[in-house]
Amino acid sequence: MKTGKGYTLYFLVYKNLQLKYKHSLLGFVWSFVHPLFYLLIFNFVFSKAFSEIENYSLFVLSGLIFWVYFSGSCNQLSQTFIKNTHLIKSLQVKKILYPISEQLTELVSFSAGFILFIGLMVYLNLHVNPTILYIIPIILLFSLFTFSVGLILGSLNVFFRDVGILWNTLNPALFYLTPIAYSFSIIPPQYSFYFKCNPLYHFLYIIRNVLHQGIAPEFYHSLYCIIITLITVLISVWIYRKTKNGFISNL
Amino acid sequence: MGLSQTYKMKTPAIELNHVSVSYLHNRRGIYSVKDFILKGGMFSPFEYKSVLKNIDLTVYKGESLGILGRNGEGKSTLLRTIAGIITPVSGTCKVHVEISPVLALGAGLELELTGIENIKIYSALSGNYDKKTIASVIDQVAHFSELSMEQLQMPTKMYSTGMLARLAFSSVVNAQPDLMMIDEVLAVGDKGFQEKCKRRIYEIKQSGATILFVSHNPDEIIEICDRGICIENGEISYDGTSEEASQHYLKLFN
Repeated sequence: MKTGKGYTLYFLVYKNLQLKYKHSLLGFVWSFVHPLFYLLIFNFVFSKAFSEIENYSLFVLSGLIFWVYFSGSCNQLSQTFIKNTHLIKSLQVKKILYPISEQLTELVSFSAGFILFIGLMVYLNLHVNPTILYIIPIILLFSLFTFSVGLILGSLNVFFRDVGILWNTLNPALFYLTPIAYSFSIIPPQYSFYFKCNPLYHFLYIIRNVLHQGIAPEFYHSLYCIIITLITVLISVWIYRKTKNGFISNL
Repeated sequence: MGLSQTYKMKTPAIELNHVSVSYLHNRRGIYSVKDFILKGGMFSPFEYKSVLKNIDLTVYKGESLGILGRNGEGKSTLLRTIAGIITPVSGTCKVHVEISPVLALGAGLELELTGIENIKIYSALSGNYDKKTIASVIDQVAHFSELSMEQLQMPTKMYSTGMLARLAFSSVVNAQPDLMMIDEVLAVGDKGFQEKCKRRIYEIKQSGATILFVSHNPDEIIEICDRGICIENGEISYDGTSEEASQHYLKLFN
């Protein structure tokens, strides 16, 4: 067999995109509309409550789009092996390519939406200067982190189908435990340690550095993000390797 | 392919040496975390259930081997092991020819996508990804399956079982594989198409390819294969000519 992992990935991404947007009128515009809708709600509900936050719309928006990307990807990746049961059972394609293609699909539609969001952010007074380019490595790092979390969920979901359900249940809790609609400063000091255990906290911190304050990402938080990502990647690869040989019998 | 005649004399295409395959099975019907906790599966919720036991099998190039056996005795598992989709727990599995995907009914068809898109993806995932090849594959599949372009442009969820079988079968047999694995696909499809499929398999056989053919129908095995094996309980219980193997298989039900 010819080896062409790149092509295999390309066709899997093509398939995912087709499946995702095939029967929708708006297509990839949904990746723009979905966060926008939440933005409107939060703006309406919270902008008075958090009036001390400068430029609240931009603040919420910068967090929201990454949250939507994260939770959407994890959701897709948790189902990835189950969705591709037939392919896994009949083709000799490396199984890891399915979650990778799923993440790439999410990244493609996220990026398409993100370009539109940059426009909206500029409208909301985002300072456009070269520091904004820091967002590119941040997106890549964040994608890697999201992929690892999704790979863990996806591998376990093959054996216990309620891992996916459990994840969907915990999702809203994680949303409110992450400073997306509110700022880091309102967290009471006695709880701040627990909040800092949430990896998303550190990611949001550096994302806001770039997209809200218009400055370079803070050094320590960036370092935390890199370390957290590396650890998650190691854990996910370990779990995947432990479980992958049992996939076929449990799908 | 021209060399196939010379190679035909006893060059092994597939060598299985003491191959055992186990499945990780849920012991107490634990399929969710809830059961995992409630049924006290904390300690060992999974157990290994062996599906293939100590299989020794050599298939030579150009040979066509029929695989018979009751449901759930390990026929499909054997094919998947040879295809490299399942890793054996012990033993070695050597394949010296280019592997084609295991052809099973409707395998990997994405029901929301159209026939053409499915052919494209299937062809790409099995190793043919340049644009020209894919275009010619689509032509050949359309020709062989006798599905009209209009039908091929419909989502496959609108297909009948017979149409799905046509599509699935056509998208694999149009290639010229060195090793073809067929898993119970001739059961569906109308008489005319079944005959066409058999002729195609026969052509592929003539070209010197190795064929592994799983079927429940001994007549088909006799028609297509020279050699037959019976699988019982994960072991090869009979190995001989296809006629003998078929007789052995029929005795299982008496």
